[in-house]
Amino acid sequence: MILFLDILTTVAILFVVTAGLMMIFGVMKIVNFAHGALLTVGGYAAYVVTQLKLDPWLSWPLALVTGMLAGMVVESLIVRPLYKRPLDAILATWGLGIVMGQLIVIAFGREVQFVDAPIKGTWSIFGVDYSAYRLLLIPVACGLWATMTGLLNGTRFGVKTRAVIMNEDLARGLGIHSGRIRFITFSFGTGLGTLAGALITPLSSVDPNMGLNWLVSAFMLVMVSGHSMASLLVTCLVFGTFQVLVNTFVSPVLGGLAIAVLAAFTLRMRPKGFANG
Amino acid sequence: MKPIGQFSKTLVIAAASALVFHAHAADPIKIGVAVGLSGANSTVAPAVVQSSQLAVDEINAAGGILGRKVQLEIVDDASGAVGAQKAYDTLVFQKKVNTVIAMETSAARNAALPIITRGKVPYIYTSFYEGRSCNQWMYVNAWVPEQQVAPVVDYFSKSKNAKTFFLVGNDYAFGRGMLEFTKKYIETKGGKVVGEEYLPIDGSDWTSIVSKIRSVKPDALISATAGGAPNVSLAKQLKGAGLGVPYGNLAIDEGTAKTMGDVATGMYLSASYLGNIDTPENNKFKDSMKTKFGADLKTPNELSVPQYEGIYLYKAAVEKAGSVDPVKVIKALGEVSFNGPRGVVQMNKSRHTPLSMRLGEVQADGTIKILETFTKVDPGEQCPNIK
Repeated sequence: MILFLDILTTVAILFVVTAGLMMIFGVMKIVNFAHGALLTVGGYAAYVVTQLKLDPWLSWPLALVTGMLAGMVVESLIVRPLYKRPLDAILATWGLGIVMGQLIVIAFGREVQFVDAPIKGTWSIFGVDYSAYRLLLIPVACGLWATMTGLLNGTRFGVKTRAVIMNEDLARGLGIHSGRIRFITFSFGTGLGTLAGALITPLSSVDPNMGLNWLVSAFMLVMVSGHSMASLLVTCLVFGTFQVLVNTFVSPVLGGLAIAVLAAFTLRMRPKGFANG
Repeated sequence: MKPIGQFSKTLVIAAASALVFHAHAADPIKIGVAVGLSGANSTVAPAVVQSSQLAVDEINAAGGILGRKVQLEIVDDASGAVGAQKAYDTLVFQKKVNTVIAMETSAARNAALPIITRGKVPYIYTSFYEGRSCNQWMYVNAWVPEQQVAPVVDYFSKSKNAKTFFLVGNDYAFGRGMLEFTKKYIETKGGKVVGEEYLPIDGSDWTSIVSKIRSVKPDALISATAGGAPNVSLAKQLKGAGLGVPYGNLAIDEGTAKTMGDVATGMYLSASYLGNIDTPENNKFKDSMKTKFGADLKTPNELSVPQYEGIYLYKAAVEKAGSVDPVKVIKALGEVSFNGPRGVVQMNKSRHTPLSMRLGEVQADGTIKILETFTKVDPGEQCPNIK
């Protein structure tokens, strides 16, 4: 039973952490290596909320807004000229991540900070006491998935976005302002990144490097899952389960490698990964 | 004009040489401190610098060592091995210090020791570490696993009646070393290790380990993670899981425990120095620190206090030897003692120091209550081949 909950919550955490990266990669084919730094920014947004003695629940919207604003600035200044040069964009976002990390060090110092969690303690479920916050992340991840799927599949914006994904030239020919779609998507993606940062603070320490640990796993998951939200969810399910099983039955030291190894293996056997079914 | 110019030049040279001679007579004794002003150690470095400054000021105010003033040479080692090599090169061969008294990471210490040996400089290592590092020029005045682990295990088995232990750590030298020793110690005391789990040092997901602890239901839990992030994420996830098992943390310091708030409440730790040790020496030390640094004071800790005592031990050794001659000082360092904030310290056990260890419990308000003091805990034969 605990194993089952471990798997579900781990999958939820992976999905939350990866969603923002997916949003940007899926639409723009740009791998946003500043994603790790965005997670860190989200963590510090939650820290600011704690310092101001506000309600911890406010850290979620604050992180989301901070990330979206940062995304708007970054898109217009840094990413926009690089859409045709995705490799340079990797370099630029990697550098941006370093700069953001250093700005955080200058503003808040190197030390580990502490953030109040919105809920504490445990809930009793199926006869076991399990961390309440981890359980909460399951509906949060589901909600996030539903919102994003709804946005991409059920709205006018979603139709345009998918048009841009499929064939940008044709979409432009039809009068879709692809630049604006990219702008909105990018800032939405960065906002999800910082939101994820705030969401994981009750589980991880808040320090200037907190996001880096998640970056590699998130990157692998996005590489494998291609560009649909459904396939990202499936990928998180498969990889999260695999990771927890390795951790539990083999060794956590190897579990740290589980996602990277399985991703390499999957892409070797099936270069498309989980995309398109 | 010319003769006068010549004359004044001679005068200047004469005056200058007199000055040089004078300066040589009262040449200060230079104490080198290599410390991580940048990098991972930069959170503790300021406290170490402050306690060094206090020690040197006190010694100078009381007339110096053998009538000579003491001068600090502080160099940044960037918290790592490469930085330490540069820092020790600078201290030993450019600044020509008489001694180096410093905390280092184990990697940095190992990188620095060949330089110390080449320069023949007495070296006092002031950081706790995994033990068994030996060099004829080095003394250690901080704890090794033999001293830190025993109080935690003894307390758990005695006061908590613990028979089964679960060990958790990060997969690196300190984590593996500490827990390997802990396991042996528990087994010699008749306890049983029912689980031993490691996570990579950059890992932050303790999910499966927490679940294992829950299913094994040990009487006590002991962890040796890397300081900082992994330590915090483990504590948070344990707290989140609501495990009520007594938890001894071998890698936490008082300052971190304080900032962790309710996550650390109820955690046990073992240290040679805790802020509220109630002795005249510690109270005087804390007052002097407060007077000297006022609002800028960095709370004294497990690394800064051995640094303070190390400088006094060097003073005592030079006075006993009657000179700064390295060979004589090294011999004297093992014989002298100093009554400091941690009590009487004497580096007389195989180049290491029997220490009074305190077992503390983190209280809800972040202070640490000293539950038990274990006096003169023996470091064991760390360096049997060095006399």
